[in-house]
Parts: sequence; C-alpha cells; structure tokens
Amino acid sequence: MKLGVFVSDFTLTTDTLERFKADKLGIILVQNGVYHATTKENGKASSLLDKTPNLYALSEDIQIRGMKDADVDKRVKVVNYGDVVDLIFNEYDKIAWL
Amino acid sequence: MGNLTIGCYPGLVGSMTYDFALKLADAAATKGHKVSIWFSGNATGSVKANQKHLKDYSTGEKYLKALLEKGVEICTCEACTVARGVKKDEGIPGIQWNAMHWYLAKIYSADRVLLIGGE
Amino acid sequence: MSDVKLAFVVQKPQYKGETSRLAITHAIAYQTVEILLEDGQTVTPKLCFIGEGVLGLQKGQNAMDLYGITSTESHMKNALLVDLDVLVCKEDLAKYGIPEDAMPNAEEMGADKSIQIVPFTEIQKAVEEAKHVLFF
Repeated sequence: MKLGVFVSDFTLTTDTLERFKADKLGIILVQNGVYHATTKENGKASSLLDKTPNLYALSEDIQIRGMKDADVDKRVKVVNYGDVVDLIFNEYDKIAWL
Repeated sequence: MGNLTIGCYPGLVGSMTYDFALKLADAAATKGHKVSIWFSGNATGSVKANQKHLKDYSTGEKYLKALLEKGVEICTCEACTVARGVKKDEGIPGIQWNAMHWYLAKIYSADRVLLIGGE
Repeated sequence: MSDVKLAFVVQKPQYKGETSRLAITHAIAYQTVEILLEDGQTVTPKLCFIGEGVLGLQKGQNAMDLYGITSTESHMKNALLVDLDVLVCKEDLAKYGIPEDAMPNAEEMGADKSIQIVPFTEIQKAVEEAKHVLFF
C-alpha cells in the first residue's frame, strides 16, 4: 500500500500514523501541519519528520503564516497545489486526511 | 487524466479547511482531471446563494461558481442542507442536491478519494 | 460485475462533532447506491473504529430523550441490520477500559451480523484491501 497522508494540525497525529503500515508513506503538511516543517519546539525538530523521507509542505500555507520556504526543514520539499495533485495521482494509491 | 472525488465536511466560515478543499479541486481541474465534490455536515451551509464577501471571512460562492464553470461536479447532502435552514431554491445554481449514495457512486468510479472531515 | 471495497476509519469520538456519526450514515448509504450505478456495480464499506473512535459506542445511550437526535447506538444497529461489517479495535477498547460486552448488537431486530471486536492488524488488513480509505 502506498499511502499519502495529509497532516493539518501541529498537535501530533502520530498514533494513527505509527499504527498503519505502508510500503511507501508520504506526509503532506498543510494548514497548521506546516509548523512541523518550520518550527523547532524547545530547539528540536518535529519527530514527524523522522517517519518517512517522503515529506512535503504546502507553500501557500507556509507563506500565509508569515514564514518563508527557506524556513522549512531541509528534509521537507515545498510544494504548491498543482504538485499536491501530482502527488495524489502519481505517487500514492490511497490518500487520507488525518 | 484521473478522477478525484473530494468529500468536504468542514464549515465555510470558521475553518480554512474548506478553502483547502476548493483550492485542491481547482488545481486538479486545472490540470485536466475530472473532479467531483461532495458536501456534508457544516460544509453544506456554503451552497446558499447571495453570500456577502466580507474580508474577514472565507467566501464560497464565487469559487464554487468558478469550479462549476470548469466542469467540477458539486453536490450537497440534502438532509444536511435543509437541516441548516437552506432551501433548495436558495441554493447556488448548478450545485446538485442529493443523498449520501451520490457520494458513494462517485467514489465507485474515482481513482483517488480524499475525505476531509469536519469539526 | 465489480465491487469497490472501502474502509471507513473512525478515529474521532462520538457526539462532540458529527463527523464520526456521518461515517456510519454514509456507510449505510451503500444500500441504495445501486440506483446511481450500473447493474452489477457495488460498493462495500467496512466500518472500522480505532483510537478515540471507540468512545461513544456503548449500549444504553439516551441521545433522543436528551438531545432529540438518533444515538450512535441506533446508527450502529442500523449498520448491522443492513449487513455492514463493523470492526472495533480490541486494543483500543482495552486501552480505554471499555468492556467488549458493552458493544451493542441488533440481534433482537433480526440482524445477522454482530460487531466484530478485532485486533488492530485486522483493521490494517481492511485498509489494505480497500481501494479507498476514508478517515473520519
């Protein structure tokens, strides 16, 4: 199963993420989920970023919050809505909004 | 080209998740994908016509009309909508009214399904 | 003839929001979808409750008297009556201290199916077997 997951909250939804096993897991950070990519809580990056190498964050949702693409953790690829559509159709066979 | 079905449940006002659903639909339709949107729960309040666009609040109507023009199929859950006091003749023209099986029928032929749950 | 399998995964608790209830009513709608499909085309949802989604499933709910709405318990019974597979995560019931025999059944209404209390691995399997997964 190739599972693409949208994370839209900064509070961790790791319980569900950790339980479901996927051959390929993608995490698409949107809305407040982008803070996982931009914010270090007590100096430490979000543990969500350790879960998979396939990490994406939506540029519009970074910029609306007054941050820049440059603020994003290097492991995370910044994408636009069109890129998200391509991820949905080309990289994952199931998608989920947690 | 693919077929994307989006289930959208959050309300128009008070949550930007609704905006995300419409923007994603627009991006997919712009790329030539077939897109359908199912409104349920609080999202159904957004199908009422004559919305006043105040800058402190998200607006649905002009974006919904633009999506309809792009060929996106949009349907609202009739029970959820009338429960919120919206009558059919007050709705945005072009938006369909139906029951939950409409959504399941669209899912049947979809390549990808994204359900965005509500509050 | 083709069937599309779906996994409806409910992870939000009942009653504060309506999303978890809508999962059940949407799943029940599989019964009438045929009017919009061609002969032989079907969709088959499996309703799976995990995490906090197992909260608010217990017997003895009184939603109609107190709030004038159909209880989740009644919706669950209706789901069983229309032969839906309803899976509740065994580990999560244990985690929240909910006894397995607190789950409702619809035997008295003539349902053939019962709620299946299963290990999480069974829910993972349902998700893998489904063409689409919908998280509520």
